[in-house]
Amino acid sequence: MWARAGAGVLPGFFLAAALIGLLGWLLPGPWESTMVAGLTAFFPLWIGVICAAFRFSSGRRAWLWLGGLALLALGLLWLLQTSGWVR
Amino acid sequence: MKLKPATLRTFTTLHSWMGLVAGFALFVAFYAGAITVFHQPLQQWATPRTAAIGSLDDAQRLLDDVLARHPEAREHVGMTFPGYELAQPTAYWQDRHGTWLFATPDHLAGNPTPPGASLPELINQLHYMLGIPVAGTWLMGVVSLLYGIALVSGFVIHLPRLVKDLFALRPGRNLKRFWQDAHNVIGLLSLPFHIVFAVTGALLCLMFVLMLALNPLIYDGKLMAASAAAMDTAPIVQKAGVARPLSPLASWHARSIEVARDQGIADFVPGYLKLAHAGDAHAVVEITGTAPRGLGGGAVALDATSGAVIATQLPGARDANHATLAAVYALHFGDYGNVAVQWLYFLLGLGGAFLFYSGNLLWIESRRKRRQAEQGRSSIIMARATVGICIGVCVAVSAAFVAAQLLPWLGWNVGAGERWACFGSWALCAIWASWRTPSRAAQELLWLAALVTALIPLAHGLATGWWFWRSAAAGHGALFAVDIGALALAIGFAALARATARRGRTGGANSVWADQRR
Repeated sequence: MWARAGAGVLPGFFLAAALIGLLGWLLPGPWESTMVAGLTAFFPLWIGVICAAFRFSSGRRAWLWLGGLALLALGLLWLLQTSGWVR
Repeated sequence: MKLKPATLRTFTTLHSWMGLVAGFALFVAFYAGAITVFHQPLQQWATPRTAAIGSLDDAQRLLDDVLARHPEAREHVGMTFPGYELAQPTAYWQDRHGTWLFATPDHLAGNPTPPGASLPELINQLHYMLGIPVAGTWLMGVVSLLYGIALVSGFVIHLPRLVKDLFALRPGRNLKRFWQDAHNVIGLLSLPFHIVFAVTGALLCLMFVLMLALNPLIYDGKLMAASAAAMDTAPIVQKAGVARPLSPLASWHARSIEVARDQGIADFVPGYLKLAHAGDAHAVVEITGTAPRGLGGGAVALDATSGAVIATQLPGARDANHATLAAVYALHFGDYGNVAVQWLYFLLGLGGAFLFYSGNLLWIESRRKRRQAEQGRSSIIMARATVGICIGVCVAVSAAFVAAQLLPWLGWNVGAGERWACFGSWALCAIWASWRTPSRAAQELLWLAALVTALIPLAHGLATGWWFWRSAAAGHGALFAVDIGALALAIGFAALARATARRGRTGGANSVWADQRR
């Protein structure tokens, strides 16, 4: 229980942040135009990820999956931002 | 929908733990929040005399005097129009040390204490930070997140029997089942409202912290620079360095209404303004107002010297950022629509408080040992805490109301006295509940809540002469509504006290709620 909760709270935070970031920067128009919507959507998304973490069969799997996805999504976002493909 | 038994078990555990951890704070937030819906009528009720609404000329005089006396206010000054929150206009600005100062036509020197009665602010502080300075806000933000998790897990548990639960309210001999049914029905019917509060509550409490965290992570460090444009209406302009007088305040007021009407908003009421660079050629004023039929108000930014329109963010013609922000505020505070929406929010707020109270009772009941008189330690502790904190805060809030009327009448310090009455009576209730048996404490404190709440209209009548029949006859709806609302709540507490006594006498014997005398 604790391990899965931790996975939802910690890597889950970074995963939710990365998803909000990808959505904000990939939507048409400048990212600034959806920043308040992004901040508002963050908490329900994070809560959803925390709850979803409890559906993994073990804490280890939850950490690996959520951590891996978070790194992947953040990496993709940084790649898009530094390469100037999104603005 | 079918769920695996293991999943169901996980989410049931999750739901009850989130409820246990966050339930007490949420009870306080919902009970105080239901009252905060009526903070404006409350302001009138708690202000010693029903003052006449000031005029725009009063506002102009206040603005001129504040700008002349306080150079800091020339950089940035805010001001409420007469009749918005308070009958008289109020100006506010930050001094050199960053402290907010407030001035009214009667007190031009500026005072760190906001004008008006302190009672609405005390109830509001209970609502969003449990009365704990600074850290209380973050605590309530975390509580909102736990509340969100409790909502999702509660929904998942009931998913398999959603429709059946909605129509199953089974009164009868099985009291636990009746409470479970009531908990489920109220939870399901008010779910959209609870989702709104979990999301907007977390956002309002943790917005700043979240922005600090997300700024380097996903916004490439550019979030803070972009936030002014996303949240304010007037753009940030540099001073021209050329002196030029301001146009009259009344002209800004009229212009904002005119601009709103041109955009199809017939009922725009200016509430407050923000003025930057007063006296400079680049002075900018932003007038924020309410539009009762739109979701959230809007704002019009004007050149404060010529009156030319610089920017608008009004319902129906807003960018996504302002529309989202307006929706968050309006949905959380229930200040869209008319008085019916406020009453709905009030009732849903009390219903939410019931949800957390009943949740605790169900937790205790499901751990009940039916075959032995001695109940588990955790049940007794939980019952004591529920009685002391939940019923205690009801007593405490009513005590603050009574103090707000009696203290000025007796000539004592109102602000400090209200806090003592509130937190002192709350602490005493908690001590009482930890000393008596839960069943007795619940009955006694409910009777106390009924008594103190019934004293509210009495104290108001004694202190001001505005007995509720006189308010009704004179058409003071706000004064009448607060007094009558208090009487209705007092009757509710008395009914709950009687129900608790009945449970103690005739309900199942082996329980923390059974009278120990048998």
